[in-house]
Amino acid sequence: MHGHGERLEIKEDLEQIILVGNPNVGKSVIFSLLTGKYATVSNYPGTTVEVAYGTTTIGDKEFLLIDTPGVNSLIPLSEDEKVTRDILLKETPRAVIQVADSKNLRRALLLSVQLAEMSLPLVFVLNMYDEAKSRGITIDHRRLEDVLGVSVIQTVATRKEGIDEVKSKALTARNSSLRVDYGPELEESIEKVSKLLPESRANRAIALMLLSGDTTLTHWLHSNLSHEAIEEIEELVRECQRKHRGSIYYFVNKRRLEFIKKILDDVFEYRGPQESTYLETVGKLSMDPVWGIPVLLVVLAFMYAFVGYFGAQILVDFIEGVIFGEYINPFFTDAFALIPVALIRELFVGDYGIITMALTYSIAIILPIVGTFFIAFGILEDSGYLPRLAIMVNKIFNRMGLNGRAVLPMVLGLGCDTMATLTTRILESRKERIIVTLLLALGVPCSAQLGVILGVLGGLSLAAAVLWAGIVVSVLFSVGYLASKVVPGKTSDFIFEIPPLRVPQVSNIAAKTVARVEWYLREAVPLFILGTLLLFTLDKLGALILLEDLASPVVTGLLGLPPQATEAFIVGFLRRDYGAAGLFTLAKAGMMDPVQVLVSLVTITLFVPCIANFLIIIKERGIKTAMAIVGFIFPFAFLVGGIVNFVLRSLEVTL
Amino acid sequence: MKDVGENKIDELLELIWTLSETGNDSLNSVLADTEEEDAEKALEEMERRGLVEISGERISLTEKGRTMARGIIRRHRLAERLFSDVLGLEDKFIHAEACKFEHILSPEVTESVCTFLGHPPLCPHGNPIPKGKCCARFTKKMKPLVMPLKELEPGEEGRITFIAPKEHARLDKLSSLGVVPGSTVKLHQKQPSYVIRVGETDLALDEDIASEIFVKKKVME
Repeated sequence: MHGHGERLEIKEDLEQIILVGNPNVGKSVIFSLLTGKYATVSNYPGTTVEVAYGTTTIGDKEFLLIDTPGVNSLIPLSEDEKVTRDILLKETPRAVIQVADSKNLRRALLLSVQLAEMSLPLVFVLNMYDEAKSRGITIDHRRLEDVLGVSVIQTVATRKEGIDEVKSKALTARNSSLRVDYGPELEESIEKVSKLLPESRANRAIALMLLSGDTTLTHWLHSNLSHEAIEEIEELVRECQRKHRGSIYYFVNKRRLEFIKKILDDVFEYRGPQESTYLETVGKLSMDPVWGIPVLLVVLAFMYAFVGYFGAQILVDFIEGVIFGEYINPFFTDAFALIPVALIRELFVGDYGIITMALTYSIAIILPIVGTFFIAFGILEDSGYLPRLAIMVNKIFNRMGLNGRAVLPMVLGLGCDTMATLTTRILESRKERIIVTLLLALGVPCSAQLGVILGVLGGLSLAAAVLWAGIVVSVLFSVGYLASKVVPGKTSDFIFEIPPLRVPQVSNIAAKTVARVEWYLREAVPLFILGTLLLFTLDKLGALILLEDLASPVVTGLLGLPPQATEAFIVGFLRRDYGAAGLFTLAKAGMMDPVQVLVSLVTITLFVPCIANFLIIIKERGIKTAMAIVGFIFPFAFLVGGIVNFVLRSLEVTL
Repeated sequence: MKDVGENKIDELLELIWTLSETGNDSLNSVLADTEEEDAEKALEEMERRGLVEISGERISLTEKGRTMARGIIRRHRLAERLFSDVLGLEDKFIHAEACKFEHILSPEVTESVCTFLGHPPLCPHGNPIPKGKCCARFTKKMKPLVMPLKELEPGEEGRITFIAPKEHARLDKLSSLGVVPGSTVKLHQKQPSYVIRVGETDLALDEDIASEIFVKKKVME
């Protein structure tokens, strides 16, 4: 939830070291330790969806360290896997550090075989050594070193054990001696295809990918080979597939696994299951069809108590009421009173002042809520609870053309929709990515907005809160259901890895929260100031009244709101939490009755989250899809608001 | 045991069937791919017996030929399953041995093998096994040794004998997570989703995927 993927001044001339490994094995922890730069670390597969860059010094030389999204196979099944594969094909690193989860050595070796086929210089890290040990697993790492022909290092990255050794041995990286024999027939085809490829170290690997029917290489082929060569390759692939009368990928994997089994027999020892710990018991309960629900309720209650009560009420009252209300705002108001120019005075401390509005909103109201949310969310992420939630909601999500895996971006959206939109990359089909992007943009309130909304609703009644949540959830569900019918494509399989439940580490939560708060300050506060300047200018030009008049058929007519609500909607186009904050002040000032509050909150919840989110939708889904999504959302938000208003008024509901 | 000429006809029927599975009905492909000598003569004989129809470049099975081919393919692929899943023979023996078996299995033995294996829908190479009467009847007189993972009870373990997915992509994905024939799986729960443990990995699956993974139940001591 911060700029993990940013490429701050990549130093092109540095030699590279690349971190690779299966998902959720601790690559990002090691990345952070080696670069001193925080990369988001959580306990679920797919935390890193973008490549992160940092520098690390080994000896007296600086290297560029690259952290890649986790992969199970170098024949990619999802976008984030493709990113990693492409880097490994394109770059010529000084070293590739493969990070393995010690207890899942088999899967790690499946990847090592493929890295060896790419002839990449390797170093092998057996991470989470402690967990393997507590599960009764021992690995003869000296013997593994002999088999792999590269350095093998044992680490417990979260406790920094073995990290110095990773550093000192990284430069011993060399090509692994692992080589799987795929039998005379396939070997012959590999040989033939390799000869047609441009000279490169990875020819064996590329030939295997092509023979296995990897279609993601098409682009690469066309930019590297002549038309004739491609046709010749295609013919060879067809011939080979005919001879094999079955999936080559499957055959190849089978041969690899047989090969690995022999290695494991030699180096891997498993002494029966240990007694189950209380964490395993809780882990089981959290995905149990019956107990899973009370566990979820406890989690939600904890979130509400910490974010909704402690953050949104106690902290906000203190910071807004005491710090800003009694000290900062009076201080600046007094200070600016000395400035004779009214315009400047009002720019900073007026109704639409940068300090009295932008900073008060963003720092005093939203920051405490966002901060407490980030802490609570970090605990959830690191515990490994979220993948278990995926299991609980899988069937419901199926109705929306999604599977349980989509719960990760959706819950992440409660933190920040922009980051969550990036995380849709872990979804395997385009259909799922579009639906989740749409739902995030439409109705998953981010922490900032959620906090403000809870703050407003807290002042109303429980009925209003339930009604708001009910309306938003039903809208999400109906739109998801309809989208699943409209968006072409299919839902991918639900085959989802569940990490063990772990006790979150305070240091990681702290680091993650700081990084995310920093990100919030950098991304959101400038937009708050921009929005305030916009309102200030419109107000001074007298255009605000004009706009309110223009919007009145919708705002006062359709929605039945006071004209001032227009201001909230205007800034809501920039950030919907800012819009919500505007409604918060209107509600506090007693300018709206409960029904109006509810109608306005529903409408602003259904707005596109913020400009940044919009830009990311363009980047991830393309301008056409982005425009379609936005073009649908805004009118739809007002329409739903109008319907809610009409129904509540007709039924004469009082809240 | 039938004479060699009959075996030749069986082999050609099998080949025409296999080619037609990939949509190929060209006479030249049959002649190019066959390992039989005097294939053209044998094909003429087959046409005379009303097993195939040849018109110009195209060759197709008649109703009678299809019935025969279906039986051969079924016996061949069931034999392959038996050799790979139960006997654990190496790939290179499987095809050759199955070629012998396809000629000698009687209908009764074929049904027993099919039931014993739990009516597998696909051969080890992923090609469909034509259904027999036993598959349609769904009789459970003989308790299948191999059953879908979804029929295990939570807490039970099984060894995967084969996976028969509707789509290949599913097989690829499962295999890259270590879910392959030979691995041992433990079923943790069935609701709200299937959760299994393979090696040290816990995986959640949809029910229909769990019904495509076939296991030999491990007997608890």
